[in-house]
Amino acid sequence: MHIPDVLLSGGAAAATAAVGAAGLAHALRRVDRRHGPRTTSLMGMTAAFVFAAQMVNFPVGPGVSGHLLGGVLAAVLLGPWAGAVVIAAVLIVQCFLFQDGGVTALGANFVNMGLVGAVGGYAVYEPIRRALGGRRGILIGSMVAAWFSVLLAAGAFSIELGAGGRREDFLRILSWMALVHAVIGVGEALITGLVVRFVLTTRPELIEGPGAVEVEAEPSPGWASPVVAGLAVALAVAVFAAPFAASSPDGLEFVGEKFGFLPDEEAPPLVASPMAGYEAPLGDLGRVKKLATAAAGLIGTLTVFGFAWGMARVFAAGDVKREALVDAV
Amino acid sequence: MPSDRPWRLDARVKLAGAVGFVLAVVLAPPGSWRYLGVLALALAAAVVASGVSIPRLLARWLGFLVLVGFLAALAAGRVAESSGLSWRLAALDLVLRNGLALMAMTAMAQVTPWTEMLWAMRRLGMPPALAATLGFMYRYLFVLHDELTRMTVARRARSFGRRGLGFGALASLIGVLLGRALDREERVFAAMTARGWDGVPRTLDD
Repeated sequence: MHIPDVLLSGGAAAATAAVGAAGLAHALRRVDRRHGPRTTSLMGMTAAFVFAAQMVNFPVGPGVSGHLLGGVLAAVLLGPWAGAVVIAAVLIVQCFLFQDGGVTALGANFVNMGLVGAVGGYAVYEPIRRALGGRRGILIGSMVAAWFSVLLAAGAFSIELGAGGRREDFLRILSWMALVHAVIGVGEALITGLVVRFVLTTRPELIEGPGAVEVEAEPSPGWASPVVAGLAVALAVAVFAAPFAASSPDGLEFVGEKFGFLPDEEAPPLVASPMAGYEAPLGDLGRVKKLATAAAGLIGTLTVFGFAWGMARVFAAGDVKREALVDAV
Repeated sequence: MPSDRPWRLDARVKLAGAVGFVLAVVLAPPGSWRYLGVLALALAAAVVASGVSIPRLLARWLGFLVLVGFLAALAAGRVAESSGLSWRLAALDLVLRNGLALMAMTAMAQVTPWTEMLWAMRRLGMPPALAATLGFMYRYLFVLHDELTRMTVARRARSFGRRGLGFGALASLIGVLLGRALDREERVFAAMTARGWDGVPRTLDD
């Protein structure tokens, strides 16, 4: 979901533009230093691939379909910084050619999907891949990273959209975003996992091979990635826990009051009791949604881990043997 | 053809004009209806002069309206509080201003070919590596789109048009596309290297 123009406050747009530009400049420097003349060709093709892959619709239900977002996939293929540049290219084309996402929100979109999504996702992926090893590590790592990258991006989005407003507004936005993106995150993890598994079984060299390793190999300090990953996971947990901190009425109720299908439009919106008779049921509704948000986080996390372990069983038996074979050859 | 038609203008002017217009819209304080009206008239004049199909512009805007409306409902509380507008007016303000910005960008994109826009971005200070990536991306975009269409047609022919492909089959489709994309990139890169590619794109405009 790309942020359109106007919806961010001026300060949030300016701040994210600055952070995004600095992040992109850093990513370009890192990429430039490591790769030869092939850099731009490889990144351009990967960006075109991500764009094309986003056009493949996965049917979810009647009238609803989702698609791959691809931030983690790009980072797994090319490494975190090249992955971020790929996402930047996709966002720029979507913004200027297809008007998907605003110009003034380009920085925010890049921060959410490129820096938080691809680089942050890679920080989750890398420790898991190393800890588990082999193709199982790649598969499980990429799926878990895809899940967390979507949640973190949703959290960053809520901060940007709510910046400068009241705490209640921010928490309301956050709980809506967390609910919606728990579903999207599971979908992203599933699709990423299915694609990665397919590539690992049919063309493993695309992910493990010399081409990919050459691009990816980066003697990263041993502690940085786990620390970032831990921070990311903690933040993602906070996204779901935060609605409990809200002392305000529920968002739906708020919108309802504002549109006037609930009585008493003149009262200040967030005062505790604008409609005495309805207080109890609506209070329950608010609690239900908080519980739903937290439950969505828990269920989503468990689902993703479950799917990841299940799908990785394909590699459990053959992985070591195949690697030994490759060594022998 | 008269040379003062918008598609004859320097792409840098069009790009800077559209982005400048968006900035003017974004920076306007909420509820400044008269100012927005003036901007809307200016935009309408530019759109009419450019000869862009107006129903097409409106259709594009409507396509984005659902998402914008949802986000505007989320953000309107903040705007209402800081500006003193009522919640409904604040949401309306957000949707209207977003519509103006969207129209300006859509109209600009309709009269500016992407290669020219890319050239303008490079001239206006985009890092060369990013510009080159965007160039490659644009070149390969249609190639991959054709590839995807061919694969979909082939798939449909084999499954006799049966609908409701599973997630697995669709993910395999993406996986195959990835393989073909990277193979093609490798081939083209080898061919470019043989012709002296050194990582620096050169065009006739330079």
